Amino acid sequence: MQRTRRRGRTCTSPGKRVRLLVMRLLPALAALLALLQAAAAAQAVPDDGRWTMPGKDYASTRYSGLDQLTPLNVQRLKPVWNFSTGVLRGHEGQPLVVDNTMYVVTPYPNVLYAFDLTQPDYPLKWKYRPNVDPSALGMACCDAINRGAFYADGKIVYNLLDGHTVAVDAASGREIWNVKSAELSEGETTPMAPIVVRDRVIVGPSGGEFGIYGWAKGFDLATGRLVWTARNAGSDSATLTRPGVFKPFYDKGANLGLTTWANDAWKTGGAPVWGWLSYDAGLDLVYYGVGNPGPYNPEQRPGDNKWTNSVLARRPGDGALVWAYQFTPHDNWDYDSNAEMILADLTIGGGVRKVLVHFDKNGFAYTIDRTNGEVLVAEPFVSLNWAKRVDLTTGRPVLDSSKFTGDSKGNVKYICPSLEGGKSPVSAAAYSPRTRLFYVSTVNLCMDYHAEVKTRIRGTPFIGASTPYVAGPGGHMGAFIAWDAARGRKLWEIKEKYPVWSGVVVTAGDVAFYGTLDGWLKAVNARTGQPLWKFKVGSGIVGAPITYRGPDGRQYVAVYAGIGGDWSLLSGDLNADDPADMRDPADFIKDLARYTSQGGMVWIFAL
Amino acid sequence: MAQQGVATLGPRSDTLRNPDAGDQKSAAEGEKLFGSMNCDGCHGGGATGFAAPSLSDGRWRYGGTDGAIFQSIRDGRPKGMPAFGELLSPEIIWKLVTYLRSLPVPKTVPTQSW
Repeated sequence: MQRTRRRGRTCTSPGKRVRLLVMRLLPALAALLALLQAAAAAQAVPDDGRWTMPGKDYASTRYSGLDQLTPLNVQRLKPVWNFSTGVLRGHEGQPLVVDNTMYVVTPYPNVLYAFDLTQPDYPLKWKYRPNVDPSALGMACCDAINRGAFYADGKIVYNLLDGHTVAVDAASGREIWNVKSAELSEGETTPMAPIVVRDRVIVGPSGGEFGIYGWAKGFDLATGRLVWTARNAGSDSATLTRPGVFKPFYDKGANLGLTTWANDAWKTGGAPVWGWLSYDAGLDLVYYGVGNPGPYNPEQRPGDNKWTNSVLARRPGDGALVWAYQFTPHDNWDYDSNAEMILADLTIGGGVRKVLVHFDKNGFAYTIDRTNGEVLVAEPFVSLNWAKRVDLTTGRPVLDSSKFTGDSKGNVKYICPSLEGGKSPVSAAAYSPRTRLFYVSTVNLCMDYHAEVKTRIRGTPFIGASTPYVAGPGGHMGAFIAWDAARGRKLWEIKEKYPVWSGVVVTAGDVAFYGTLDGWLKAVNARTGQPLWKFKVGSGIVGAPITYRGPDGRQYVAVYAGIGGDWSLLSGDLNADDPADMRDPADFIKDLARYTSQGGMVWIFAL
Repeated sequence: MAQQGVATLGPRSDTLRNPDAGDQKSAAEGEKLFGSMNCDGCHGGGATGFAAPSLSDGRWRYGGTDGAIFQSIRDGRPKGMPAFGELLSPEIIWKLVTYLRSLPVPKTVPTQSW
């Protein structure tokens, strides 16, 4: 106290000094004001520093308005904390940060941890351990993963692997409701992250490899009561398609979910919902991608197979279908369309259009009018050879018939991209309104495709194709790219040795973060693509980094380590927890296990 | 088994005898069944492992005798292996067992070297 007063007395005429300082700083202040105005234009609402839903916002931009981390200082980023989740499976998804609490959902058995960010060492406030049916492990096609939770109305809402959806009190960890949302015995599992819009929780199933009959369901947020079920194929009544409400841009006719399937194949035709959902409040539309038709042998299901491999726009309140667009009709290659739909307003052809941007497994990046489903731009973002282009007048891909598959076609060689996709739907891209660029983790693999006839046996895999992979053109298996969706062109790319399988976050400091399969978290300059910083997190990254403001006002970055998902099946030798399961490495990725193995960790970084 | 309705009440694995043991024709039929019954969807083509463990590495979570493998297929196992006892007759299950037992166990040394 005394010292402070003494200093104050030595500082004569403080008012005059401040005025002088202001005069000198005026030009800088004006520049700062202009910058702030530009930032405000880019994002109307200042960032609250939280991360309450998987995609950061309803537009699924994974853009944070926090700007403390910049290309000039991010080199000083350091780990400040980490925590083993105690689970070894693929850690997809991302933490949430709400009210100075970090929420982490693990892969099966789907433990929910709540860390107190206001205390030293971030101790747990509570953990919630649901009772999950272990038989779900035999119904999950591609590891026992979970893609995260959604915070709404004081509740953490998420799915358990075994077809249950729960709401947990965010403050206490008390289970508020726990409902059966999917039918495990049919091969339905639920690793996706729900979206909550007003009082509706929307959920969908995995099971495109188990011959499910796919759907989306709307539950009541307060009680968990089922309000509506919308099938993704079948009759208009089953798909909640109503005359006068459903107005697709390209397709005509009634019962398209029936008439585009021969032999009633829609009944076991897949059409899962395992990706990310978006919402436009102005249009009151929820957007989600639908996955592959089953089985993989297309000759067992003649027709377009609507609405597999499509984007559907529905009213969240009652599930009514408003428009739909099919990216890959009559899928021959397992090109699911579950990847995120990022909502942005872009200048195209001289006018500002309300669009959604989607990087499909099929290798095309689509810029679509989100009011009606019209495709405005569709260009390849990776090497592809199954189609020549997308015809914007019909919305259909122009196919290369030499790449058609089926049991009568034998082994069809070298199809690009592989069924891992030009981008995995797992690895959600990000959009910066400052740079007007999309930041995308991509995969450069090609495949042979040998289809065979399969019979569906309830609760067993319904696949029917053998599809070995090779690295695509150039030999690298992945890249991190920046994409201009208004023009359909790649601005820059960073080649990576392995497929890039992580989500992305981009910030108002113009830094983008992504992770690699060999376990590096990387920061790059969002404008130039210049690599700025990297840190090895101990296991491959298949989750999505986030950024948030801590209780101390500082900007933090968080990410999961924990390789898995498809890579626990594909790479052969990453798993070390079962002495009775010894596999050779996969031919196309023989040395991945030299650099990483399983391990679930939450990491937090700061300057 | 089906009448009892409780999977674990079947005969003990060490009392089960494989009537097809070592029979190549049975093993070949078992290989086809491994595909047609969708076993390959989880355990991979050639049973080399995919979403579910390898069955061709000579190592077994729940025992590698013919009887133990029969029991795994018939009754299922806790971490996701379904019970096929109501779908497949004992004759069919023995063909699958005979196929899996016919797979050459690799001369794997437990060291992977780069």
